[in-house]
Amino acid sequence: MIERIDGLPTNIINGYKVRPGKPLPFGVSHVPNGLNFSAYTSAGTGCTLVLFSRGVLEPFAEIEFPKSYRIGDVFCMIVFDLDYEDLEYGYRIDGPFQPEAGHRFNKECILMDPYTKLVSGRDVWGEEPDWNAQIYHYRSRVSFDDFDWEDDSPLEFPPEDLLIYEAHVRGFTKSASAKVAHPGTYAGLAEKIPYLKRLGINAIELMPIFEFDEFENSRIHPETGEKLYNYWGYSTLGFFAPKAAYAATGRHGMQVDELKQLVKNLHSNGIEVILDVVFNHTAEGNENGPTLSFKGLDNKTYYMLTPEGYYFNFSGTGNTLNCNNPIVRSLVLDCLRYWASEYHIDGFRFDLASILGRDPLGYPLSNPPLLESLAFDPILSACKLIAEAWDAGGLYQVGSFPAFGRWSEWNGKYRDCLRKFLKGDAAQVGELAQRVQGSPDLYQSSGRTPATSINFITCHDGFTLADLTSFNEKHNSSNGEDNRDGGNDNHSWNCGAEGWTDNAGILALRQKQMMNAFALLLTSRGVPMFVMGDEFGRSQQGNNNAYCLDSSLSWVDWLQLKANHQLFDFVTSLIAFRKSHPCLRVNKFDTTITTIGLPSSSFHGTSAWSPDWSQESRQLAWMFCLDGIGTGNSDVDLVYVIANMAPSTSWFSCPELPNGLRWCVAFNTGDPAGPVLKHEATVDKHGLLVGERSVIIMTA
Amino acid sequence: MPQQPFAPTRASQKMTLNITTETLTSHVSLFLEGEVDTTSAPQLLQTLTEIGLAELAELRIHAMSLTFMSSAGLRALVYAKQKMPHSSRLIFVGGSADIQEVITRTGLGNAVMLVETVDDIP
Repeated sequence: MIERIDGLPTNIINGYKVRPGKPLPFGVSHVPNGLNFSAYTSAGTGCTLVLFSRGVLEPFAEIEFPKSYRIGDVFCMIVFDLDYEDLEYGYRIDGPFQPEAGHRFNKECILMDPYTKLVSGRDVWGEEPDWNAQIYHYRSRVSFDDFDWEDDSPLEFPPEDLLIYEAHVRGFTKSASAKVAHPGTYAGLAEKIPYLKRLGINAIELMPIFEFDEFENSRIHPETGEKLYNYWGYSTLGFFAPKAAYAATGRHGMQVDELKQLVKNLHSNGIEVILDVVFNHTAEGNENGPTLSFKGLDNKTYYMLTPEGYYFNFSGTGNTLNCNNPIVRSLVLDCLRYWASEYHIDGFRFDLASILGRDPLGYPLSNPPLLESLAFDPILSACKLIAEAWDAGGLYQVGSFPAFGRWSEWNGKYRDCLRKFLKGDAAQVGELAQRVQGSPDLYQSSGRTPATSINFITCHDGFTLADLTSFNEKHNSSNGEDNRDGGNDNHSWNCGAEGWTDNAGILALRQKQMMNAFALLLTSRGVPMFVMGDEFGRSQQGNNNAYCLDSSLSWVDWLQLKANHQLFDFVTSLIAFRKSHPCLRVNKFDTTITTIGLPSSSFHGTSAWSPDWSQESRQLAWMFCLDGIGTGNSDVDLVYVIANMAPSTSWFSCPELPNGLRWCVAFNTGDPAGPVLKHEATVDKHGLLVGERSVIIMTA
Repeated sequence: MPQQPFAPTRASQKMTLNITTETLTSHVSLFLEGEVDTTSAPQLLQTLTEIGLAELAELRIHAMSLTFMSSAGLRALVYAKQKMPHSSRLIFVGGSADIQEVITRTGLGNAVMLVETVDDIP
């Protein structure tokens, strides 16, 4: 092969052979015989490349970019003959320190490359660095991007067929009870894939895995002396880099390969991978926070600033990323394209996504360019885009998020309505009817579908399902904030005792309430999601905001799987039931009449065809029907759900069925013999008794 | 800004890799001594190229005297397996626990069979 004529150095600076580089791609990239470094700064007046050997405190070289090594606002340089496996690098940017003008340049700071694909310096979770000696904490490195995917590609499941399982990489297997070889890591999670297959979920949503600092805002609990961390990770340092301390091979710098291997394994077992991504703020905080990367590169571009140069705080964490600035928009696009193409990621859930629709001064945009770009990007076209459609600045956009026909939403209204209905609150049945159909009141008029609604009753924010049925109040004293943190509107019910009890009746009711929750969640149209461990009753002892707890309180206790196998079996059976009944996964708002004369969705009460919409009603039944004509399946798929949250048993008559069809009970959460009926019981054609606070699911 | 490097680092030390090749009728063995990293990986790749991977039924990499293998070194193994016939075997003999762990956890172990000693080869 002919040698490239631009593959040789043209200059020597400080003993290093260099050449003018290429502005694209941003970050560091391999070129013949060298590395191309590219860094953007619109107001910086000078740029110096700082080079380290891995793990060494002081740099071995600093190479100032010649003035001519700049194209537009991008400094770019090729440096030859570097050992890229051993290399760590950063930048010093020269420029004015004028906070009132938005500039915070400081040549003394060594800055992490925002486009770095690999970060070192935090390779082992909880290993505290020497804060005084270390002059450069989060170190950019050069990664290999040549993983052998073989035939793997994103799975592209239809969104209406997803069953999403939210998990924290470390918490999922950190407990010794997980019995994995590498607890709390990507490799550890991979060892639990057989379990996930047995459960039946087909998508795992990983809480933040972009590089973050678990020591950010870490502190000692004033009473217990326990170390509190940034455990959840909602504070991004490296948008293109996987967290090294989540890798069993992180201390060897092999986290990229380990994570890719996890994705490959999940895909080969029929499980999509969705990443929880945090573009609403960064780990640099406000004017009192550290200068790690963006602040020192181009503060005014990357952050929403007041006219006086302070940081807007729509995230509640100190700063707000200026997402609709064209440069930041490009960074977000580049980032997601990178994860989709290099890691085969199937989708993204955007934390506090409403921030992505604000302009540089924080005003909501009617047609946010970033959201539009993401919706129509060719590389992201098959990725699920899921918005947490609110922010900490008061913007609440569930049902009105600028979707461009593509975005789904965490449906907080589903969560609240289901919780209230389950605990027996009045005035819920009307809204419940909307939620179980996929929330047409929110999405139909804008032309969207039931799969727009990510239905959830629990997630990482708030109570676990077990705690939702065991506590009326939050108990967050472990967080060291005098129980002032965490939400207060939990819509929870302790079933008669707060927390621990040995009262058999209360415990039985709690178990039934958890089953009721899963029964309603998994028979609702839309996309169901639940949080790790709910399937066997994981508890955080009433803590509804475990963001800082790296302990057994937040880790999954796998001993509970054996202890509560009844719940686990029920959930796996329900998941299998959902998968086998396409009428539960219809992805259109449709009330047409099917070929057997039944509407595709209908609502009922104790009398068929007569729902009680009164304020005092705690009972609702609904029927989903899917015509098989034209789908290759001559059968009509029918499911009838009866939800009786009244404190009394009631007789429910069932809709008459044509063509000799009979209703059969598949699940009954009120059956003392067990909720899963091994042999589906045929229902008397007149109806059946439904116990208090019970859900019955029938087929025909 | 100092002009000289500080304490010697891996980057500043001259790393050596010695490779001994043994060719038998049933297989080829490479005995590795020293370290495989970005500087010595090309030497390993050159040796792999020279032994004729395309017709090789079995390649054994003896790592008992290998003290370090970086990502570049592991990729040389993957490269070798990709060049060999589909039904061939690439066997990694010995090697430290660290090396074996990295091979296994990063998926690079999909390309190789890991054994502790020659007697463990099936």
